[in-house]
Amino acid sequence: MPFREINSKMVEAVVGPGQKMYSQRGAMLAYRGDVSFTPNIQGGQGGLGSMIGRRVAGEATPLMTVEGSGTVMFGHGGHHIQVIDLSGDTLCVEADRLLAFDGTLQQGTLFMGSQGGVMGMVRGQVTGQGLFTTTLKGHGSVAVMAHGGVIELPITPGRPVHVDPQAYVAHHGDVTNKLSTALGWRDMVGRGSGEAFQLELSGSGAVYVQASEEKL
Amino acid sequence: MFRLQGSKTLAVDLTGDAVKAKNGSMVAYDGQMAFKKMSGGGEGLRGMVTRRLTGEQMVMMEVKGQGTCYFADRASEINLVSLHGETLYVEASNLLATDAGLRTGTSFTGLRGGASGNGLFTTTVEGTGQAAIMSDGSAVVLRVTPQYPLNVDPGAYIAHQGRLQQHFQSGVNFRTIMGEGSGESFQIRFEGDGLVYVQPSERNTVGGDV
Amino acid sequence: MSTPVIFDPMTLPSDDNVNAYTFCVELKGSRWFLQKGKMIAYYGQIDFNGVGHGRFERLIRTSFHSPLHASDWVVAEGSGKMLLADRAFDVNSFDLEDGNLTIRSGNLLAYQPTLALKQSIVPGFLTLIGTGKFVAASNGPVVFMEPPLRVDPQALVGWADCPSPCHHYDHGYMTGVMGGLRSLTGIGGTSGEEHQFEFVGAGTVLLQSTELLMPEQATGAVPHEPGVPGGGRPGGGGQHGSTPRMPGQLGDIQRRFGL
Repeated sequence: MPFREINSKMVEAVVGPGQKMYSQRGAMLAYRGDVSFTPNIQGGQGGLGSMIGRRVAGEATPLMTVEGSGTVMFGHGGHHIQVIDLSGDTLCVEADRLLAFDGTLQQGTLFMGSQGGVMGMVRGQVTGQGLFTTTLKGHGSVAVMAHGGVIELPITPGRPVHVDPQAYVAHHGDVTNKLSTALGWRDMVGRGSGEAFQLELSGSGAVYVQASEEKL
Repeated sequence: MFRLQGSKTLAVDLTGDAVKAKNGSMVAYDGQMAFKKMSGGGEGLRGMVTRRLTGEQMVMMEVKGQGTCYFADRASEINLVSLHGETLYVEASNLLATDAGLRTGTSFTGLRGGASGNGLFTTTVEGTGQAAIMSDGSAVVLRVTPQYPLNVDPGAYIAHQGRLQQHFQSGVNFRTIMGEGSGESFQIRFEGDGLVYVQPSERNTVGGDV
Repeated sequence: MSTPVIFDPMTLPSDDNVNAYTFCVELKGSRWFLQKGKMIAYYGQIDFNGVGHGRFERLIRTSFHSPLHASDWVVAEGSGKMLLADRAFDVNSFDLEDGNLTIRSGNLLAYQPTLALKQSIVPGFLTLIGTGKFVAASNGPVVFMEPPLRVDPQALVGWADCPSPCHHYDHGYMTGVMGGLRSLTGIGGTSGEEHQFEFVGAGTVLLQSTELLMPEQATGAVPHEPGVPGGGRPGGGGQHGSTPRMPGQLGDIQRRFGL
């Protein structure tokens, strides 16, 4: 079911019988009707395998299932919310930026470390997110949080986009990512510009960047 | 060349030229860019001495290349200022980016700075070109004219331009000493002709609780 | 690139928002009460004086428990236009016409003296009664909703005209075998939504999008008299205020087996 934006920091969703929605624990602000909130052990679909995968990753995705019949308002910490509608493609998003999403979407994790070996490890440390990112695929809506809102930058073949890893929120489409460095010997010695690590995204799709380098 | 993408992100289109921006404020770019750290306070020996004296925290980097570069800082709101040969005075922590052609320096603000906790020095931006300043929440621009001087809470002040005199006003009186202060005792009074930028929030000020 | 709007004393709005985070009050020899430190700039001649902090007024403060003396209120008096703002939070003004509105103490920024400020029975909230204007700050724009509604306690800003809320506890997922297991072992944690304020009746509820509260402003201590909620002797309040056992409060099984 689509999310309706009430204002930049709050979204509303209608839940009907038989429909399920997942959201971050504690993200419900208010609701009407008969809705239940159940903590999710596995954090969505995926079963045992994905849970183990998550434990290995050390990535906790504390989700809860929202079902019943009524209207629910979501928001968290006064952060800006962006609604992204997926029509069959895949969205990769940092787990702690996920506010809520349609239960019909297929959830998984993407091991970011696989692209780039040692660089992947480094990237994991740089973004502070761990090596895994959450993927959502299918038809449905996703509500994503960011500090200060996001801007959407298109990625076209031949025009890769470089992003500060701490400002990266999510991306969708057919995109490959790799960590690139603009390191010179000066940066190694610690007198660099502070832009040493960058995430390079190439292919075809769009990346969502937040107007801040803060972790949520 | 400078444009706003939303109110919190600055997009700069570069075609081989450069911009100066706050260190670490790049969030994304496309095309080819190179980032180089610069030292604040000005160039050369004088700059170095200024930096020592002021302990100035303004750390800028130079960004050069081809393409579009996006800058943002802690989701602060951004205001664009166009300068035509004049000088803009801005709090160092509120300056996001300037055209490479503008000259940046520091100026001594005197006792006001010390008591308000904003530091004794302010950054100056001079020349012709564009600068981007940041504020915590959308800034309000207020005009000062000889008939209408303006009083500003020091923690809300971000920048000013024009022919203005600043006086540091202290409203300390008998009541303040008796502990009945209003929290508004320290103010900056602007007189003359010009513009003052204020933000809807207060940085911590030393005199704030008096 | 659009040039920002430049304001001067003529163009500044009177008693209205300048932008989402800044409010302009016009004083014409009149006065307004505001929270300490929230004035950011002003034109004209305005005097600011603290309320209730002098040595003598402190005596009054301890005898009466009014919020005006408990927290840091300031009186602004004079003529001119004054800009108010609070930590870049959204500010909005509301008009009350012989009405009542209860608002969280940390969210009230300023109000006209024609309104009476009282402590609410619900701790941490203040009630404004009468006719006049007041300004409230919130994390994100305020959303107005009508009951029946259940609200996360941290998202609540205030309510008008409808009766005070009741507590609602939701432990639906704790029933059955799985539920029993959860509450004993604490596996799976909590949903974070166990407790809400429930509103019924006719009126308006004000919400904000946050799980982070703005710092509380003191509303004044409740006198320790029997019969006063929150102030009565321990035990006199009964179940009031005590939250039921939450899962993982946990791990009863662990405690039982001394793990």
